[in-house]
Amino acid sequence: MEYQVQNISRDNFEQCIKCTVCTVYCPLLSVNPDYPGPKQAGPDGERYRLKNPAFYDSALKYCLNCKRCEVACPSGVRIGDIIQRARIRYDRSPVKLRDRMLANTDFMGTVAGALAPVTNFMLRRRIVKQGLQAVLGIDSHRTFPAYSATTFAQQFKSLADAQKGYPRQAVYFHGCYVNYNYPALGLDLVRVLNAAGIGVRLIKGERCCGVAKIANRLTDSARADARHNIKAMQAALGADADAPVLFTGSSCAFTMRDEYPHLLEVDNSAVRSNMMLASAWLAREVERGAVKLVFKPEYTRRVTYHTSCHIQKLGWAIYSIRLLKLIPGITFVPVESQCCGIAGTYGFKKENYATSQAIGAELFDKLRRIAPDVVACDCETCKWQIEMSTGIKVENPISILAEALDFEATAAANR
Amino acid sequence: MKFDVVITGGGLSGLVAGTALAKARRKVAIISSGQSALHFCSGSFGLLGKAGGKTLESPLAGIELLPPTHPYRKMGAEATGAYADAAPLLFAEAGITLKGTSRANHRHLSPLGKLRSSWLTMGDFMTFSGERPPMKDCVIVNFEGFLDFYPSYLADGLGALGVRCRTASVKIEAVERLRRSSGEMRAASVARLLRGEALEELAIEINKVCGDADTVFIPAVIGFDSEEHLQRLRRMVGVPLYCVPVTPMSVTGHRAQQLLRHRFGQLGGTYLLGDSAVAAHMNADGSVRAIETASLCDDYLEADRFILAGGGIFSRGIVAAPHKIYEPLFGLDVQATDDRDRWFDADFFARQPYMSFGVATDAAFHPLRGGSAVENLYAAGAVLGGADPLTEESGAGIAITTALHVADLIINS
Amino acid sequence: MVFLKFFERRQLVIQIFLCNFEAQNTIMLNNTQLLKEYDVVIIGAGATGAGTARDCAMRGLRTLLVERFDFTAGATGRNHGLLHSGARYAVTDRESATECIEENMILRRIARHCVEPTGGLFVTLPEDDLGYQSTFIDACRAAGIDARAIDPAEALRMEPSVNPAITGAVTVPDGAVDPFRLTTANVVDAKLHGADVLTYHCVEELIKEGDRVRGVRLRRQGSQELFDIRSRLVINAGGIWGHGIAAMAGININMFPAKGALLIFGHRVNNVVINRCRKPADADILVPGDTISLIGTTSSRVPYDAVDRMDVTQEEVDILLREGMKIAPALAYTRILRAYSGVRPLIASDDDPSGRSISRGIVCFDHAARDSVEGMITISGGKLMTYRLMAEQAADMACRKLGVEAACRTAELPLPGSEEEPKPEKKRFRKSHIIELSTNQLAAKGRHGTLSGDIDFSRDSDDALVCECERVTAAETDYAINRLEVNNLVNLRRRTRLGMGTCQGSICACRASAMLARSFGNDVALADLASFINERWKGMRPVGWGQTLVEANFSAWIYQGVCGLAPGKTDTSAL
Repeated sequence: MEYQVQNISRDNFEQCIKCTVCTVYCPLLSVNPDYPGPKQAGPDGERYRLKNPAFYDSALKYCLNCKRCEVACPSGVRIGDIIQRARIRYDRSPVKLRDRMLANTDFMGTVAGALAPVTNFMLRRRIVKQGLQAVLGIDSHRTFPAYSATTFAQQFKSLADAQKGYPRQAVYFHGCYVNYNYPALGLDLVRVLNAAGIGVRLIKGERCCGVAKIANRLTDSARADARHNIKAMQAALGADADAPVLFTGSSCAFTMRDEYPHLLEVDNSAVRSNMMLASAWLAREVERGAVKLVFKPEYTRRVTYHTSCHIQKLGWAIYSIRLLKLIPGITFVPVESQCCGIAGTYGFKKENYATSQAIGAELFDKLRRIAPDVVACDCETCKWQIEMSTGIKVENPISILAEALDFEATAAANR
Repeated sequence: MKFDVVITGGGLSGLVAGTALAKARRKVAIISSGQSALHFCSGSFGLLGKAGGKTLESPLAGIELLPPTHPYRKMGAEATGAYADAAPLLFAEAGITLKGTSRANHRHLSPLGKLRSSWLTMGDFMTFSGERPPMKDCVIVNFEGFLDFYPSYLADGLGALGVRCRTASVKIEAVERLRRSSGEMRAASVARLLRGEALEELAIEINKVCGDADTVFIPAVIGFDSEEHLQRLRRMVGVPLYCVPVTPMSVTGHRAQQLLRHRFGQLGGTYLLGDSAVAAHMNADGSVRAIETASLCDDYLEADRFILAGGGIFSRGIVAAPHKIYEPLFGLDVQATDDRDRWFDADFFARQPYMSFGVATDAAFHPLRGGSAVENLYAAGAVLGGADPLTEESGAGIAITTALHVADLIINS
Repeated sequence: MVFLKFFERRQLVIQIFLCNFEAQNTIMLNNTQLLKEYDVVIIGAGATGAGTARDCAMRGLRTLLVERFDFTAGATGRNHGLLHSGARYAVTDRESATECIEENMILRRIARHCVEPTGGLFVTLPEDDLGYQSTFIDACRAAGIDARAIDPAEALRMEPSVNPAITGAVTVPDGAVDPFRLTTANVVDAKLHGADVLTYHCVEELIKEGDRVRGVRLRRQGSQELFDIRSRLVINAGGIWGHGIAAMAGININMFPAKGALLIFGHRVNNVVINRCRKPADADILVPGDTISLIGTTSSRVPYDAVDRMDVTQEEVDILLREGMKIAPALAYTRILRAYSGVRPLIASDDDPSGRSISRGIVCFDHAARDSVEGMITISGGKLMTYRLMAEQAADMACRKLGVEAACRTAELPLPGSEEEPKPEKKRFRKSHIIELSTNQLAAKGRHGTLSGDIDFSRDSDDALVCECERVTAAETDYAINRLEVNNLVNLRRRTRLGMGTCQGSICACRASAMLARSFGNDVALADLASFINERWKGMRPVGWGQTLVEANFSAWIYQGVCGLAPGKTDTSAL
């Protein structure tokens, strides 16, 4: 008789052998002793919560959802998922107005973007920052990224027609940051892909991936967005069922690939294998000879790569590093993978500011010592955090690639 | 992705093999599903402590007493000794100081004050040969509220060796903060905080309680990422200072893992942390073509040679189901019985048969699959059957020497 | 030697506590100044013995409770922990069923902190006869058990782990009861009412004067010291071992040891008790108990001389899983922490020495009437559920024989820990600004009820976790060691759940051992640590595969590899 061939439990919580390795890699533990740590908050706490929800500990809200505990776990326990699921399920405290604002990136982006010059001016004023801290609890040290007057989606319209002419096609999930704050990155990707002979399609009615809503417990809303996104993604793929769906933000990619099925219980299996980080996908394409890149000979930079927590979890940092190393003018300096402390909206909250900076302190020190021309990173919130804390410029590998690429020669090589 | 060698398992064995191969300019990838068992290592490596019912003074002398299927017997005593002697340099290059030689086992203290014997021990710890440790009067210092260090057990153990012991506890402000968390006053959390000024504070506190002791023992919670911190502390404390291992998780084990991994990266190796091998793709001739991983999906890791260093039952390199012992990735032949009644001894502290379960290999460490050797696959470390690492005190020795051996086989082929 | 040290140190601790606590009305009572003569000596500190001691003490009898090992070391600590509604016996044994439901309602009142009123389901599987359901419901109602048929879909909503293929479901007022807490609370209350308690004292022989039992000769475990205690009456509450105790008086009781094996799953698979609606058979009850779930039991006759060495076999594990999977499919893949077995003291009625008509009912013998041996009562049979009723019957008989007129009050007065709470406690909070209990304090409260107020969380280090799986803090460990008759790690486990969780002691045993060493000395504590690890291994072995074997392997690396621990001269693991 076959039984117990495998031990199965939700998020593998029972695979835990209590070895405590996760606690060693939790970036939060040594800076915030009020947080019970991934082992207690995760699998240990789960046994008690299954017995009685009263054992839910409100200190779980401190979890960054960085998933570094999961990366460290030798037993495959999805510790971060257990913690986030517990927050979703048991935390009944009302979601603050501030958290709703931070989480509703689409709404905020649309409103702020429409009034971009005013918004950007205002958000940089000390008095406004102090007001935001006092009224909403958004830390006054933080500066909101500047909003763009025209969104990426609007800017893309002028390029859309030309895209159909390319022999290969890719779908691009630009995400809120590219759309509302930094269309330049999206435009870089379109230029790079076009040069490589690949046309770009956007997802009609794309909504936020939901990372911020999940972190702020707006689960129902995140789930609705997720269902919509998956459907829209399928529609965008259309007949090109094998075309890639590319991301320039590692958190968007991670959320849609893994958090959708694990936390939101939204089935993404139809498109999951299509979803790839743009830098990872390009590195693969170059490696298998499907794409050729030609670089400007005069381009030289000293570059280091910061592995964001979510790309660490995705396991794709090697691709971004490979892509950077393809650029002959780059001197690559490695730095140990470590959390920068921002964790999306987490670091924007007044109560988390000190923690956020304490987590990142070691990384900032290392980066200052390396003193690269630019830090490459696949995550936008890491970019804000590192730029704010070190003054060193941070760019997406795609933007670095765009800067280094000889577009004409590349286009010719891929014709 | 194409490599010269792909290694499954990023613990002691996988990293040693990977480092040796990377040094020989091979393009190597290591897949490591989570952090390794090295995190639980006490800071000492055993080569061979017991064999044929005897306690060994010289580890190499015991090899002939081992069963013929034992990995050491397969390599031979001479080769085992040579690999063992090559190991300290490899660790030194990674920034890990080890004391000891393969000629004679030395002694060191366990967290409970028992005497253990080992081949190599990290520089943090006190080692000695002969009957008595080199001190007369020591003070054992603990951090207030730290539960994983046992000064009174240690004092008894040292007392039995003729050492006068005092115990003392100290409060360090940075560490005190941790006590607000009910579960996280643990070695690693303490170690992360004991650097910079906190270390100076600790030195002052130790000097205060030291009195006229000739030696200070503290829990092994210094030096999360390098040996530098302990060296600094030692310079600030007036008398010789040693660490004593605490119950896991081990700070020195963590440090060794990080330093080895860093070294491997410096040599150009690719370490895929948190990814796991989900399937092996085989060629028609029975050799391995590629490994498929959870994160890289359809981008298979191809290589000319593969090393299986996934560990034993503890690391799930070998899996026990109710009525079956198996190797999950390649479906290799295992040295084991499926009859569960024969897996265990009723006495926990006796030799447990299950601990020697592992893959069967030929003389050249090629694992067997359906009875025939897989020619481009090698097995190293705890995944190997035929050894009982715990009672033989040979775990780290097998991991290191077999890793160096298969690396050699690959380099010379 | 080990035990000698245990007890010498123990007494020192006790004396210190006497000085500290004598003035207060605390649970730490005189364990050292034994009387020369008692009204009753009760042998065996399972639930029945502890309950009898409480009852006798409450009725003003000078009472001594004697136990050769620890409380709950026998069948009391080795069963389902099911708060029976009685439904299980309704069809086959009306009397037992009625007793059960009455006691069930009493325990909900007097033992609130030991009971969890989860409710229960009796489900019919496709392979079972649905026709049995109406027989079952009728029998339940006749016994006074509130049994109601519900729609299977409704049952699935109530308890999602139940097999979705069920064809019928009945709700009954089942629940979970923690036998360790229940027994400890009875002992604590017995002591509060003046009873004396001796654990780790073995009855060497019964003192007889002619045909009259006049006391017991006790042997102190460890020191082997012998001493006599005289009593007007001896009550044999030795469970299956009562057979041997009776034999000391030359009395034969026809006992049939029935072994029952159970499996403990790593977490709560179900939150409602699930029974199978058929005639009682193997592995047809799944009970949620504290942080885990239990499936049981098997039932097999074992020879009397085997009752001290019970191992769970592969076959028993097979049966438990094969049948258990049918009522809750998740059992096929849920991690199993351990297996254990207990021995039911079944007694054949006197008119049937062959044992064919074995009853699970209560047996209370006055050996003066039955065997012409004066001064001795045997209370046996029954089950955990009816321990209080058994105690009442034994105490009634004792009072009758001793000519004491006092009514039983055990059904009305709550056990210590289960009193109504006057108001939420606030003074003991470690952090004054926090209104709610920390999860650790909440866990302690679940285990000790209102007595958890005596746990001193005033220092920072008190909230430090010793056992992480079961959230046992340093403060609770100290409390148990000092106040709840703890001599070793096994005792500590029974009082607090330390080492009962997922890791089965691999992380916490060492920490707790160092705390015990403060009272008992290093040598004793280290030998005990090895015994404890071995005791945990005993239960893990029968289910030693998957993560449970990984866990055992981890434990072996820690204790043998890193720590160099070796077993001591005395093995306390069986105690």
